[in-house]
Amino acid sequence: MSPQFVDFDGNGLTDILAGTFSGSPWISIGTTKGWSKPEQILDQNGKRIVLNQFWNYQTEKWDSTNRCDDPHLQLENGHCTSAFAIDFDQDGDFDLLLGDYDTGQLFLRRNGGTAKKPAFGTINERLSAGSEPIDVGKMATMRVLDWNGDGHSDLLIGSMGDTYGQGPGGAVLLFPGSPRRGDNGDMAFDAPVTLIAAEGKSGQNPKRPDAGLYADAADHDGDGDLDLVVGGYSMWTPNGRELTTAEQQKVAILGERKAELMKQIQKLGKRLQQAVEGLGENEAKTKRKEVLKAQSKMRRELSSKLRDCTAQLNELVPSPQRKSFVWFYENITTAATTGGQR
Amino acid sequence: MNPGLSRTLTLTATCTLFGATLAAQDLNPTFAKPVRLEAGGKLLGAGRLYPSPVYRDMNGDGHLDIVVGDLRGLLTYALREPGTDEFRAEAKVMDLDGRDLDFNNW
Repeated sequence: MSPQFVDFDGNGLTDILAGTFSGSPWISIGTTKGWSKPEQILDQNGKRIVLNQFWNYQTEKWDSTNRCDDPHLQLENGHCTSAFAIDFDQDGDFDLLLGDYDTGQLFLRRNGGTAKKPAFGTINERLSAGSEPIDVGKMATMRVLDWNGDGHSDLLIGSMGDTYGQGPGGAVLLFPGSPRRGDNGDMAFDAPVTLIAAEGKSGQNPKRPDAGLYADAADHDGDGDLDLVVGGYSMWTPNGRELTTAEQQKVAILGERKAELMKQIQKLGKRLQQAVEGLGENEAKTKRKEVLKAQSKMRRELSSKLRDCTAQLNELVPSPQRKSFVWFYENITTAATTGGQR
Repeated sequence: MNPGLSRTLTLTATCTLFGATLAAQDLNPTFAKPVRLEAGGKLLGAGRLYPSPVYRDMNGDGHLDIVVGDLRGLLTYALREPGTDEFRAEAKVMDLDGRDLDFNNW
């Protein structure tokens, strides 16, 4: 969920807009007393804005729909997890960009209303750069800014990459705004340039954000150029050392203990599965809660033991690590020409 | 933080932020080796579920702070010590009732 601070309703107070993993864009309206509870931004018919997949708050299950698909396109199942408000067609009101976590594509919900009374379209319009649909693999988030100062808004997109495995990581791409706007004033973008390339995930320390790259740009250090701040997961494997015989024996014991603990946790999962098997939806829900409550003490104890065991093992035989951080990329392309503000 | 106090960082069609004119940016920029940001002596956003940082002047003092969202739907912010590269400890963004501003994720 990447927040955008924007005066969405044009009342002079800043609102917070964000697409969330629920599959929809949300808005927290700014008031003189503070930010209000976030609400979904709905389309012109009062319906929820989604790509395909979404969390159904009524059924409390994941759901999917094709009602917003462009009928002229063959689309894969999409999942909106990021949103950004921008006047895409220069008609004086905010339209919505929707980023697709699953396919890496970008869609537009055009505002057919006004700035004060928005009426968002019911169909997701897929956006292109050059002649190709925008596709970054898996999208984390997008921002709109004029990176190169040519007067045309550019798209800054962070991609997810392979967030757990050893596949290629995420990147930060810039799709330069093109002067060739559409006849209706639509923004246009050229083929992307890579600002931060995906790199291998090997290393003994966290060196960079490897996956799930959420990026924003501003003059962070006040030297007159745009820098990047990037959130994401780093993946690394600390260097091991030569173990004494006693330590080797300890590793073997800890390894067995860990395997046993995992087996016990799996058993609890299996018991839970068996308990709800063949039951109706409501009955299964109740039974599931009941079993989880009964298992909660045991689960907590096992998890605690497993964490302790894993930590002891990691001290002796470092395992691959994965943790999220926020990184600063200082732009050192040109020397400062004017003073900015930190 | 009050929505009325905090300034809107508008990324306009001109490359101007906070009244400071920026140099034209290269489309193939060079970045220094990335460094992890700290706030109040702790790593900023560390361990959060998919931290998504954005620049924002949260207290209207004319200095860029950082707001970090996450998959859970919560927001924190770290205020900049004016004129420095230092950030104060992260604090939660609250709603008008004084509760965590929660984007009600699934």
